[in-house]
Amino acid sequence: MSDFEKKPGVYLCEGCGISEAIDMDELEEDVTGGFDFSVSHCRRAASFCTGEGMEQLKKDVAGGEVNQAIIAGCSPRVMTREFDEVGAQIIRANLREQVIWTQPAGTEDTLMFAKDNVRMAMAQAENSTPPTPHESTMVSCKLLVVGGGVTGLSAALEAAKTGAEVVLVEKSDHLGGWAAKWSKVSPHRPPYRGLQDNPVPGLIAEVEANDAITVKTDTIVTSTGGMPGKFTVKTTNAGGEDEWDVFGAIVVATGWRPYDTAKLEYLGFGKNDDIITDIEFEELAANGGIKRKSDGKAPEIAAFIITSDPDIMPYSSGVSSVVAIKQAQMLVDANPDAMAYVIYEELRAHGTTEDFYREAQEKGVIFQKGTVKSVGDDLAITVEDDLLGQEVSMTGLDMIVLTTGMVPNSTNPDIEASDKGNSQLKDDINPTASFAKPGLEVLTQNDDEGEPAQPGGPLLNLQYRQGPHIPVLANGFTDSHYICFPYETRRTGIYTCGPVRRAMTIGEAREDAQGAVLKAIQSMRASEESSAVHPRAGDLSFPKFGLDICTKCRRCTVECPFGAIDEDEQDYPILNPTRCRRCGTCMGACPVRTISFDNYSPVMVSEMIGAVEMPDEFEEKPRILVFACENDAYPALDMAGINRQQMNSMMRFIPVRCLGSVTLLWISTALEKGYDGVMLMGCKSGDDYQCHFVKGSAMATERMAKVGETLQSLMLEEERVKVEEVSIADSSRITGLLNDFGTEIEGIGLNPFKM
Amino acid sequence: MSEKKTYTYYPGCSSEATGMHLDASFRAVMPELEREIVDIDDWNCCGASVGLIVGGVLPQTVLNGRNLAKAQEKENRDVITACAACYLNTHGNNEKIKQSAKLRATVNEALEAGGLSYTDDLQVHHAMEVLVNDIGMDKIKARSTNPLKGLKVAGWVGCQTVRPFAATDEGGNYDTFEDPEFLDDITEACGAEATEFTPKTNCCGGSVAVMKPEKTLHLMKTILDAAVESGADVVSTPCPLCQTNLEMYQDAINKKYGTDFNIPVVFPTQLMAVAFGLDAKKGAALHQNTIKAGKLEKMAK
Amino acid sequence: MTAQLPETASRKYDLKFARWVRDNVYGGGKMNMCMQCGTCSGSCPNGVEMDVGPRKLFMMVRAGMKDEVLRSSTLWECTSCYRCVVRCPRGVPVTYIVQGLAAVAAREGYAPKIENASFARAFWWSANTFGKTDERLVTMKYFFSFGFLEGIRKSLANLKIALGMVKAGRMHIGMPHKIRDSKGLQAMLKKAQEIEAREG
Repeated sequence: MSDFEKKPGVYLCEGCGISEAIDMDELEEDVTGGFDFSVSHCRRAASFCTGEGMEQLKKDVAGGEVNQAIIAGCSPRVMTREFDEVGAQIIRANLREQVIWTQPAGTEDTLMFAKDNVRMAMAQAENSTPPTPHESTMVSCKLLVVGGGVTGLSAALEAAKTGAEVVLVEKSDHLGGWAAKWSKVSPHRPPYRGLQDNPVPGLIAEVEANDAITVKTDTIVTSTGGMPGKFTVKTTNAGGEDEWDVFGAIVVATGWRPYDTAKLEYLGFGKNDDIITDIEFEELAANGGIKRKSDGKAPEIAAFIITSDPDIMPYSSGVSSVVAIKQAQMLVDANPDAMAYVIYEELRAHGTTEDFYREAQEKGVIFQKGTVKSVGDDLAITVEDDLLGQEVSMTGLDMIVLTTGMVPNSTNPDIEASDKGNSQLKDDINPTASFAKPGLEVLTQNDDEGEPAQPGGPLLNLQYRQGPHIPVLANGFTDSHYICFPYETRRTGIYTCGPVRRAMTIGEAREDAQGAVLKAIQSMRASEESSAVHPRAGDLSFPKFGLDICTKCRRCTVECPFGAIDEDEQDYPILNPTRCRRCGTCMGACPVRTISFDNYSPVMVSEMIGAVEMPDEFEEKPRILVFACENDAYPALDMAGINRQQMNSMMRFIPVRCLGSVTLLWISTALEKGYDGVMLMGCKSGDDYQCHFVKGSAMATERMAKVGETLQSLMLEEERVKVEEVSIADSSRITGLLNDFGTEIEGIGLNPFKM
Repeated sequence: MSEKKTYTYYPGCSSEATGMHLDASFRAVMPELEREIVDIDDWNCCGASVGLIVGGVLPQTVLNGRNLAKAQEKENRDVITACAACYLNTHGNNEKIKQSAKLRATVNEALEAGGLSYTDDLQVHHAMEVLVNDIGMDKIKARSTNPLKGLKVAGWVGCQTVRPFAATDEGGNYDTFEDPEFLDDITEACGAEATEFTPKTNCCGGSVAVMKPEKTLHLMKTILDAAVESGADVVSTPCPLCQTNLEMYQDAINKKYGTDFNIPVVFPTQLMAVAFGLDAKKGAALHQNTIKAGKLEKMAK
Repeated sequence: MTAQLPETASRKYDLKFARWVRDNVYGGGKMNMCMQCGTCSGSCPNGVEMDVGPRKLFMMVRAGMKDEVLRSSTLWECTSCYRCVVRCPRGVPVTYIVQGLAAVAAREGYAPKIENASFARAFWWSANTFGKTDERLVTMKYFFSFGFLEGIRKSLANLKIALGMVKAGRMHIGMPHKIRDSKGLQAMLKKAQEIEAREG
C-alpha cells in the first residue's frame, strides 16, 4: 500500500431528476452521520459534471482538501473524462441509471437503494488508493515479425512506416509464402471487380529495400522469454546458428498450409490427372496457362468444387468460395467460350467479394448448390442438387478443380512437438472440458496412444509457465477475442494476424497486418507507461502478491488466462507485469486472498458488501447482491435504466473487473451478512465466448459449480447463488432475469442468517 | 388558352372488336380534356404477348417498328395507346430501338422491304400515364359536371398497364408497379367512391385465360370476390383484355364455383364520359358492356 | 434466336445449354444473375398450373436439363403479368426469358400439341396474314388446331360468349379486319425472319 493520505469528499448530485426522486436531506444525513468513515466535505449541487458544482469540486481538489472524490450521480460509465481531469481518485455511486431510472420516485425503498449505493462507494473509497504503477520493464521498441508471406511482409512494412525497427523472420529460403505463387488475385481494392495483379512481388521488393527491416530467411524462432517491452528471443537459422535479440512486441504471421489432399480421394483426387487442387490450378495458370495435365488442351467445361465435408474440414471458410469464384473467372477470362461450374454447399461471398461473385455471374459462371455424390474416373460428377431437389449428373467435363481449404500454421509442422506443450496448446487452464473440439479430441486420443499429439512444435517456444504455445481456440486458429480484440492473443504483446488467426484473402490479410502492427505498437507504448493494454487500456493497477501467506498452490499461475504469472525456483508466483491484463482472475483464484490491486481487492469488495444496510427479518425486505461484470453486464444494466425498465428494489450491484476476479469469500460474506441471494452476471463463455478476458466467466462458472457444497454446509439452498451470462445487448432481458430471480428468492424465503 | 396538345393514337386490334367501348369512350373524353388524337394510318397488330413465341423476337419488333414508322408520319413526338398490350409492345420496342443504333438499323433493314423506315425518337405513352402526368386529376375533376355520386367503384389496374414500365423513367414514373393509385384517383375525380380493393394489380390470366379459361378462372374469382366484398357497384379497369376476360367468364366462374357474380366491368374512360355528361351510348359506349352497368347508365345525362 | 441448339440427343444433360440460352434467348444474358431466391415463383399468379416455377426452371437451364426445360409447361402457363420482372432483386427479366424459351420450344418442336403454342401459332398467322388479330379467326383456328371434332366442341362451348359479344357489337360478322398494306407488312416480316436466321 502506498503512503497515500486519504482526504475523501462526498458530492451528491441533484441533477437529472435525482433530487425529485430521492430525499436529498436524508441521503446527506446518512453520509455525514451514519458512517464512521469521516469525510472532509459533503456537498450538493445541481450538477457536478459541469458549472458551479464542477468548479467547487476542482477547487476542493486543487486546495488540497480532497483527494478522493466520491461522486453520487450518474453511472461511472458516463462523464468519466470530465471527472478524471479533476485530478483526484474518483469513486462513483450510481444513483441515476441504477436507482432513479429503475425505481419509483419518492419511495422508502428507492431512498434505501440510493443510500446503499453511496455507502458502498464510501466503503470502496475507504479501502482503495490510487494505483501506483509497476517499475517500467521497457527495454526495446523493436518489433519481431514471424513469417514472410503477404501478411508478414505487410506487417513489416506497416511497422517500418511508423518508424519502428523490424526484424522479419521467415522459415523458408525465400519471402512471399503461398501467395507468391498466384498469377492473379481476387480484388481487394475498389471497385472490387476483376482479377487484380499479385501484390506480393512488389511487397518483397519494398521490404528488401527498406533499411528499417532486417530479413532473416531460413530462420525460425527457437526461444522466447520475457514480456512485452523486453521479449528475449533466440532465432536459429538452417545452419544451426543461434542469435539472441530483444524485442518490444511480436507479430505472428505464420499463415496457412493447404489441406491434406489424401483426404480428397472421395472427390476423385488421384483418379484422373485432370482432377486437380486449387493450388495446382494456380500453378498451371502461372506456368504457361490453364491447360489439362493429361493432354495439354485448354479445358472447355470445368467444375470447381468447394469442398465442405465436415468430417474432413470442420469449417468452411469464405476464402474457399472466393478462390473458386476467382479461378472460375480465370478460366472464362482465358477462354470466353469455356463453361465454368462452381459446385458448392455453402457459398460465402463475404464483404466486398459479393461484387466479385456478381461479376463471375455476369461472365457466365454457373453456381450450383448441392452435395457432390461421386466423381468418376471419366470426370463425371453426380450432384445432389439442393435447388432442384434431385440428383443431377454432369458429364463432358474437361477438368475438375477441388478447393483445399486453409489449415492455420498455429504450430510449426516442420519441427517436432515439444513434450511440455502438447496438452497446453489449447487447454492450459481449467476448466478444460468446454473448450474441447473435434479436432483436438483427436489430438488427445493420439496423446493417449503415445503418438505425437501436435502437428508440430511451437512457433515461438515461449518460456512461460503455461507452456511454449500461443493458445488456439476452434479448429486450430489462434485464440483471441474474436469480435472485440481480434489481434490480441492470449499472450500479451504477441499479436497474430493473417490466416493463422482465421482464413482470409490477401486483401484481408494486408488489413489484418495493419491492425496487428498498431496493436503491437500500442503494447510497446503501454509497456513504456507500465499501463495495461486492451481491454483495460491505461490501467496502472496490477496484482500484488502477499507472499507471506502464499501456500504455493499455483492456482494463479495456472488459471491466468494470459500466462502472465510464472513460478520462481521456490514455486512462488512471480508476475511479469506487462503480460498482465489486470482482470483479477488470479485474485479470484487465490484461496488465501493474498492477491490484490491498489484499487480492487477482496477486502474492498467485502467491505462494500457489508456497507449495505441490511433490513432485519421482520421488515421482510430481501436483499440480493449482484456482481456485474463491468464490460457487458454493467453497461446492459445502465441501458435498462436508460430505457426506464422497472426493476424490483432488492438488488444491490457491485461492478467487477471480470467474473474471473470474483472470489468465493465474497459469496460467503454476502450470505453471512444476510443477503438472500447472490447473482453473478458475466459474459458468455465457451468456444464463442464474449468474456473480455477470455476465460474469466468460464472460471467463475467452474468455481461456482463448487459453491453448492459450501451452501449446503451452511444449510442454505443452492438456488440462492446463480450465474447468468448476458451480453451488452441484453438490456431488455436483464431486468427480466433480475425480477425472476427476485421472485425465486422470495419463494425460497429469507436468509436465516439475517440479524 | 393554350393550343390543344395532339397525340398520335394507336388504337390496336381490340379497338375494332372486344375493346370497342374502350376506344369509343377514349375518343369521346380526350377532346373534353383539350387533347386531340390523330390515328396512325393503316396501323397493324403489336404482336401481343404470344406473337414473338411463333414469330420471333425480331419480327415482333418489326411489327412495332412499322407502327412507329407510320406514326412518325404524323409529326407528333408523342404517341398514345389505351391498350395495355399495345403499350407494352410499342413502348418496349420503341425504347429498345432508341437505345440501340444496331437494332434500329436491323429493324429498318426489314422495314425497307415494305418501303418504310423509323428514324424519329418518338415517345410512346399509355393513356393512363397521360391522364396522370399531362392532364392531371384536377382537370378531370373540373370537367366532371355530372359527378357520379354514390357510385362505388373497385379499381382494378391489372398487369401490363403498370408493369413493367409505370415506375420507370421511360414509362413516365406515373405510378407504382404493385400499388398504383391513379385508378382510384380517376374514380374520385369523377365524383364516384373508390372502394377498399386490394388485388389491384392481380392478373386475370391474360391470353392464357382466352385459350385455357378453366386454368385461370381461380385468378378472376379472387378479383371478383374482393370486388363484391368491397361493396363495389362496378369494377373499373383500364385494360381491354382484363375487361373482356372478367366480364365474359363470370358465367363460367358461377358454374364452376357455385357463385352468382354479375358485376359490371367498365373502363375508367367510360366513367369519365358519364361524369363529363356525355351520352351513355355515343360517349360512354355503355351499351357494349355485356353485363350492363345499370347504376352508371342511370347516372348518364 | 434461330441459332441451332447444340446437338445433344444422346445426352440427358448438356452443360453448354446454359451458355446457348445466354447467347440466344432474349434476356438470357441476365439469367446467370439469378440467385435462386424464388421471388419470381412466389410472385407468379399462375404458378400452381406450372410443373416448375421460374426459379427452378432457371436452375434447370443452368444444370443443362435441356429436354426438361423445353418440355416444361411453365413456358406456356406464363400469363405475362410481369410481376416477377418488377420484383426480381437481381434485375432478371424473367417473363421475357420464359417467353424466349417458349419460342425456342415452339421452333424446336418440343411443344407441338400444347394449347398455348397452338394459340400462339394461330395468333401469328392472323398478324402475318391480315396485319391485325381477328379474334374470331384466331379463336376458331386455335380451336380447330386440336382436330375437327374438338374444334366443334370448343366452339360450341364458347358460343354463348361469342353471341354475347356479337350482341354487344364487340364481335363483328363479316370480312376480317385487314390492313391495307398487308403485302408490305408480310415482306417486312419475311425479311425480319431472314435477318434473325442470318444473325442468330
